[in-house]
Amino acid sequence: MTFLSSVFGGPWCIAVYTYREGIRRKLLIGFLILSLFVIFGSSFISSFLDPSAETDIDLKLIKDICVTAIAIFGALITVYISASVVPAEMETKVIYTVLSKPVRRVQYLLGKFQGIQLIILVNLLLMGGLFFIALYMRQGIMPTLLLWSIFLTYFEFLIISAFTFAVSCAATSPLVPTLGGLFIYITANLTEYLKDVEHRAGQTGQFFDNLIGKIASALYSILPNLQNFSIKMQIVNGQPNDPPTDVLIPWLVLYSLVYALAGFSCAYLVFRRKEV
Amino acid sequence: MTTVIRTTALNKIYEGAFRGQDVHALKDLDLDIRQGEIFGYLGPNGSGKTTTIKMLLGLLFPTSGKIEILGSESIDSATVKRNIGYLPEGAYYPDFLRGEEILAYYGKLYGLRGKELKKRVDETIELVGMQHARKRLLRGYSKGMRQRIGLAQALISDPKILILDEPTTGLDPIARKEIRDLLLQLREQGITLLISSHELLEVEMISDRVAILFEGVLQKIGSMAELLTQRELSMTVDHLSESSVSDLTDKGIQVEDRTGNRAVLRLPFHMSSYDGVEMCKAHSLNLLSISPRRETLEELFVRIVSTASKAREVVQ
Repeated sequence: MTFLSSVFGGPWCIAVYTYREGIRRKLLIGFLILSLFVIFGSSFISSFLDPSAETDIDLKLIKDICVTAIAIFGALITVYISASVVPAEMETKVIYTVLSKPVRRVQYLLGKFQGIQLIILVNLLLMGGLFFIALYMRQGIMPTLLLWSIFLTYFEFLIISAFTFAVSCAATSPLVPTLGGLFIYITANLTEYLKDVEHRAGQTGQFFDNLIGKIASALYSILPNLQNFSIKMQIVNGQPNDPPTDVLIPWLVLYSLVYALAGFSCAYLVFRRKEV
Repeated sequence: MTTVIRTTALNKIYEGAFRGQDVHALKDLDLDIRQGEIFGYLGPNGSGKTTTIKMLLGLLFPTSGKIEILGSESIDSATVKRNIGYLPEGAYYPDFLRGEEILAYYGKLYGLRGKELKKRVDETIELVGMQHARKRLLRGYSKGMRQRIGLAQALISDPKILILDEPTTGLDPIARKEIRDLLLQLREQGITLLISSHELLEVEMISDRVAILFEGVLQKIGSMAELLTQRELSMTVDHLSESSVSDLTDKGIQVEDRTGNRAVLRLPFHMSSYDGVEMCKAHSLNLLSISPRRETLEELFVRIVSTASKAREVVQ
């Protein structure tokens, strides 16, 4: 018990502090309010639709807007908070008071990363919760599929946050890791196109085309495919209590954990000998 | 007296982006700080004070040389860190926490829990005189109160060594005195204090020994008594004329605090009190008082830094 508390007590304490400090950030609150506003406001959009149109088109539209809002605002919150936590502590010198205590650098990083995950989870639950209630009130059916979607979205964000966090450990300001995080999010959602680019580029046989093909191939091999985590179409078109299809949830969780571990390991390698 | 911090031939080079842009921030630093003393660590901006402190705390890594704290070379070990408290210059403490919550947070980082943590928080808050504001949010704290809480977080583990970077900068005279008294009280309790500061008067008032650094090179180290031994004579005279002033100035005598025909004369080191009396006779001055005057730490600091600066210019 003493061993466990000495190893994990420090990181957990840092995590709670990070969470309490993080949820007060104005930009993050702004993103959250905006997303809740979009989710709440989507219900009103349906009233502008043509009444003669397909009967459930308004519901599909609401679902589409809400799922997209959760994905986009959630990703923005994830990138912003993962990119800024460590550089902000360096700027305010709080890091000096923490690392001068008997806290190992890996414990510090673990605490910060846990705190980031708490913030992401709470925000995701708030956004998803509102959508869940709205959907339940509209259809009167428990939207269990949405719960699976929120669950998978969290693991998608876990990957983005791990790599953004790794970049932030090398940076002195949040700008570069924010850009890096957005790059990872966008490209990792477009990996299928990378495969396409690889095929097309290889057809001409020219040097630059081959080069582009190889870069696309390398990115395709390295980057996670975040599209795997999306069950948006099923939510929009299916019944709210359908089971998720075409996704192997345990494998996706494992896939996400492996990438998150890789990202966290990169963060530690960078931060281990970083001079602060 | 036991040495609690020792550095041997400590070097730090910050590597630049290109060749030739490296900065040699610390050059062969040999320091020894003894148990239970207040050690003033002085130097102009960029002289390497903060670099040294950060290396002692494991925040920066030495390029070469050795650091020993409490007899251990593994300065990153929990045992060593448990015995060090650190107050950085201008650190931020979150506004949304109460004074006692901040201390509880830092206490937990030292592994304190439950009753032990509560006891240490209570003791430390009392020690820094913040009982009245312990439940108040930090946003309602004055600068002096924030500094006290900063000091309290450094003391929460009951450390043997306390490292303070500019502990009184920006504080009003009353808050300064209170912090100064507190530091003296900590020394009485056997804590070793390493204070880096530009407030030379404060350092002179409380330090047992000082070290002066310039451009990464240790220029002087010693006790106040050793370093501030040079005495000169100060004479208050009357009936001072303009012709006498120019004549005295030519002889290297400094004329200060002149009001009318009265002034204070500072004699150079080589002049004795007998020489001073003879000089008064020669210039028909009325000698009102004569007293020895010890060089202040500020004067010593300026003299050492100026000498080192001139020596560098000659080398260049």
